[in-house]
Amino acid sequence: MKEQRHIRLIINGETRSGQVEPRKLLVDFLREDLGLTGTHVGCEHGICGACTILVNGEAARSCLMLAVQADGAELRTVEGLAGKDGLHPLQNAFREHHGLQCGFCTPGMLMTAYDLLQANPTPTEEEIRAGLSAVLCRCTGYHGIVQAVQAAAERIQATK
Amino acid sequence: MKPPAFTYHDPTSLEEALELLRRYGEDAKVLAGGQSLMPLLNFRLSSPPVLIDLNRIAALAYIRQEDGQLRIGAMTRQRTIEFSALVRGRLPLLYEATTLIGHLPIRTRGTIGGSLSHADPAAEYPAVAVALEAELVLQNASSTRVLRAEEFFVTYLTTALAPDEIVVEVRFPLSVSTSGWAFAEFAQRHGDFALAGVAAVLDANGEQCRLARLAAAGVGPTPIRLRTIEHMLEQNGLTEQSIDAAAEKAAELVEPDQDLHASADYRCHLVRVLTRRALRQAAARSREKQQ
Amino acid sequence: MSELTPKLIGARVQRREDQRLLTGQGTYVDDHHPSGLLHAAFLRSSYAHARIAHLDVAPARALTGVVAVLTGTDLASLVKPVRAGSKTRDYKETSIPPLAVDKVRYVGEAVAVVVAESRYLAEDALEQISVDYDPLLVVADAEEARRSDTTLVHDEAGSNVLLSRQFAQGEVDTAIETAAVRVRERFRFHRHAAVCMENRGCVAEYQTGTGFLTLRSATQCPGLLRDVLADLLDLPEHCVRVVANDVGGGFGAKSSLYQEELTLCAVTRLLGRPVKWISDRREDHMTSTQAWDEVVEAELALRADGTIVGLRAEVTSDIGAYSIYPWTATVEPVQVISFLPGAYRVPHYRGRTQGVATCKAPTGPYRGVGRPITSFVMEGLMDRAARRLGKDPVELRLQNYIRPEDFPYKTPSGIVWDEASLIECMEKVRAALDYEETRRWQRQVQAEGRWIGIGFATYIELTGIGSAIPVSPGMPISTGTEAAFLRVDPSGTITATFSVAPQGQGHETALAQVVADALGVTFDAVRVVCGDTAVAPHGTGTYASRSAVLAGGAAILAGQALRDKALRIAGHLMETNPADLALQGGYVVVRDKPGRSMPFREVAKAAYGGLRRLPKDMEPGLEVTRFYDPYYGTASSATHVAVVEVDRETCAVKVLRYIVVEDCGRVINPLIVEGQVRGGVAQGIGAALYEEVVYDENGQLLTGSLMDYLVPTAAELLPIEVHHVETPSPSTVGGFRGMGEGGTIGAPAALANAVSDALSPLGIEINELPITPNRLFRLIREASKGKEKI
Repeated sequence: MKEQRHIRLIINGETRSGQVEPRKLLVDFLREDLGLTGTHVGCEHGICGACTILVNGEAARSCLMLAVQADGAELRTVEGLAGKDGLHPLQNAFREHHGLQCGFCTPGMLMTAYDLLQANPTPTEEEIRAGLSAVLCRCTGYHGIVQAVQAAAERIQATK
Repeated sequence: MKPPAFTYHDPTSLEEALELLRRYGEDAKVLAGGQSLMPLLNFRLSSPPVLIDLNRIAALAYIRQEDGQLRIGAMTRQRTIEFSALVRGRLPLLYEATTLIGHLPIRTRGTIGGSLSHADPAAEYPAVAVALEAELVLQNASSTRVLRAEEFFVTYLTTALAPDEIVVEVRFPLSVSTSGWAFAEFAQRHGDFALAGVAAVLDANGEQCRLARLAAAGVGPTPIRLRTIEHMLEQNGLTEQSIDAAAEKAAELVEPDQDLHASADYRCHLVRVLTRRALRQAAARSREKQQ
Repeated sequence: MSELTPKLIGARVQRREDQRLLTGQGTYVDDHHPSGLLHAAFLRSSYAHARIAHLDVAPARALTGVVAVLTGTDLASLVKPVRAGSKTRDYKETSIPPLAVDKVRYVGEAVAVVVAESRYLAEDALEQISVDYDPLLVVADAEEARRSDTTLVHDEAGSNVLLSRQFAQGEVDTAIETAAVRVRERFRFHRHAAVCMENRGCVAEYQTGTGFLTLRSATQCPGLLRDVLADLLDLPEHCVRVVANDVGGGFGAKSSLYQEELTLCAVTRLLGRPVKWISDRREDHMTSTQAWDEVVEAELALRADGTIVGLRAEVTSDIGAYSIYPWTATVEPVQVISFLPGAYRVPHYRGRTQGVATCKAPTGPYRGVGRPITSFVMEGLMDRAARRLGKDPVELRLQNYIRPEDFPYKTPSGIVWDEASLIECMEKVRAALDYEETRRWQRQVQAEGRWIGIGFATYIELTGIGSAIPVSPGMPISTGTEAAFLRVDPSGTITATFSVAPQGQGHETALAQVVADALGVTFDAVRVVCGDTAVAPHGTGTYASRSAVLAGGAAILAGQALRDKALRIAGHLMETNPADLALQGGYVVVRDKPGRSMPFREVAKAAYGGLRRLPKDMEPGLEVTRFYDPYYGTASSATHVAVVEVDRETCAVKVLRYIVVEDCGRVINPLIVEGQVRGGVAQGIGAALYEEVVYDENGQLLTGSLMDYLVPTAAELLPIEVHHVETPSPSTVGGFRGMGEGGTIGAPAALANAVSDALSPLGIEINELPITPNRLFRLIREASKGKEKI
């Protein structure tokens, strides 16, 4: 039962590896073994969305994945959202529109919004609200978050 | 809430997986998308000695049109189904139901086989499988069998799967062309499990109804096929009155439980409301298609 | 406040906190990994009320990787008992053991703690602990608990009624019985949970070499914790440090001393190694302090012309299994009767309250404390009175508000409102909504068969309280002071340290704005540090809508003191009378001589440059600490309006429009204020329509996860329109009034009134929250019997 597996994955563009028990949750591996504490644990039953990261380019809840399942995968967390030229338009928009207060849901919200805009680059307000219903925020009432995602969508489209 | 320890296997072929299941039987739990099983493991509501992870079996994920059926591999992600042009074109009810499952990040990992095997009667896929008269292909190390969806669901969270079997494929017949479809559900929050839901497909010609198939979710231990209403509609057509009568009848055909969020009465009421909504929308789509 | 020429105060400055929080560089308590860290997990009772018959932890201790397992008996020898005292006359003091000793009193109460190399292993070890309970009868209902003589949650109290209190003014029974119009109702506001996105947690580290204890905790009140922990652990206070770094929400549920914090401090001291415990979501639902859960029987009496003559109410508050430290079980029930008259002139009043213990998680302070209930009740009674009188609900309110000439206004409970622009806020709401047009539209669509309603709620809340008024009546500690410690570096940058401890309120930005303006430097020159008792002057934390007033006030006093000294140094350097100098935007300027200026950093350099550079007899250095106690406090107020539609088929409530006009005095940062209003309203909408903590008759928690406790998502909410009225407070330095709780105070009341308005054709008046579709269905069905089928 004390089996350990060696895993290797690409995270935020960098190859990382580790030794894990099969039962270790991916979110715990990211936070403890890789020191990437930007991704947060909120509920461990897949509802709050704070743990959302990109797995092979698509948003998924890292509290509902085992680290061993990410062997060979390409992951992206909030630490990898900003580019060399600065913050991602989503990050800038969140700041401009006061889309965060305590910041705990923010990484999950950003990665979910990223995937939402990927799947639907010109969403309506209703579509944004439906897409963001995947992540719970207790502080903002989502007002600034929705405005931020709208603004970021426009900005991203404008630069295309 | 951390999972208990288990022996972990991640076979890369179906044969390997089935052999493991044969070996471990009831000691093993099968991990598909994980969106239902992982919470149970994290809460330690489930402590299987062995976990068989199917996620590395690439051969189980596909969407194919074959022999008058749309055949979907059990490990096909809900997200893949959602974005499949083939599904959207040939099985729009399945597409619509998929968009109602939880949230996109859940659909990234959740699978059709996993959802059906979990058999939550409030989920969308079981009701759609029953309404569309889908077949499920079950396999163990030595044999394969095919069950109709209605036979597959036994009661809450319980299917006809033997401990050494898994669902490998879901088959949706395309033989009957259906012009109208709708999935109507009601949940208190977007993405929650529905308090009740109704899946409907119609083959209609104006107000004439050649074929109707309906199934209700969340109002019994399994999805409930609403045959009585199907006959009513096929006899009386799709007039306002006929739809209303069907909706009234639907409320009588179900015996929902009461729980924290809804009384049995309220669920029956929702079935009436949702049947009417589903039928109206399906009928409207059918008319659109004819134009 | 003479020289304060606002440049940053009032500006929509983007938050400094965001840079780290947006890039995953925040430091929440679970992000700390000191070397040698151990992990704790708690064994929790699955019974709501039971004697611990048998507890054998030896099998758990034997597991590899387990370092220690402690029980209630072990802890009892390591820490003093926690007893939340109160001067309230009819209050029975009880103990809270860090780990249960003889019996458990609610599902989730901790009975043992395992310390291991990982959380995974610690949870494995929990399963090895052998425990047997002898179940006792469960009192899960406050009414039942109140009546019971034999099933006592706390034997030492002799009763389950742990507190009673009354406020009265005038001759209320006569006034009501002789009144022309009387409206009566039994209101029920169910139990609620804060549900911060970050679960509670702490890392406790005791260094044997220095005898120094550091507790990092997701807490709102580091200062408060430090004071009490030093006492309970019998450690010299200067050897105790409590730090709150980034905290993921609090809303009151992280403001008390928790058993886990105390336990971990005892454990680290025993083991000499750092120990971490992070609550999982299930533990959070079971053990974080809960809110509200009251029944209020209330009656409002008015003259035929609509003038209020009297109000009386009986309140039963279910306070759960323990009276928490320091707020005590009085905090919620007493605030209900303190503030029930609301924003109105009520000449005759009596409010009586009882806090009843039951076998549920303890209640504690949560955003709004008591006032969401008072608004629900009073605003509900006002709308009922308006319907009875055939008066417009806005007109009835305007008629009865405390008038400008009445301020300062003393309420029947002795609270004084310094000032409030009640009429102005309501008029502004009326205009923003285009009330007449909205009513016309409502009538039109109602004729088409839609159930549309409009609901108002006005409230006034006590904020920024000083030492004259305890946050919780009769509680033993003072919450009336905060301080600011400003230190200027030789290069001219300033560190401003406070002992408030934000959980999302943006203090690092807002307080930097205040300091920068008070001193006369740029925003970037000021760095704010919060939440660390090792560096902050004494204070308690961030709660009770007090930070802008107390910390902001202290910041102004400190900033002004520093500025005075800086100008004296500058005067010396520039050979000018300091009275002719001003400090603006980081430069010392000479009034009326625009050409002459000196950068602030020159002043700073001189301050540390030795006596040869300073005026005669001046002490070197440029740093100052100022404490501020506003003594009484001040008032914030607002009017909310909600427009809702009740779906005739599903009975779901959809909020179509929501407007807030609020007055929190001088606004420091409108971005932050609006965020607080919207966040509070969102929680209020959740409380009104979705959220309910449910226990069954055996005290089993049925809403033990986020699947069943329904926090609203973005799809359930809507854009919330916020308008400001700025009436600077005459009672506080800076004119700030404090805010943050208004959303939950106003929203449930406004929504209840809106739904009642929508369903008034059916004669339905909402008296129970939350209004779930299931509940509404039953109400509508009962009201419709014999009428047209829905």
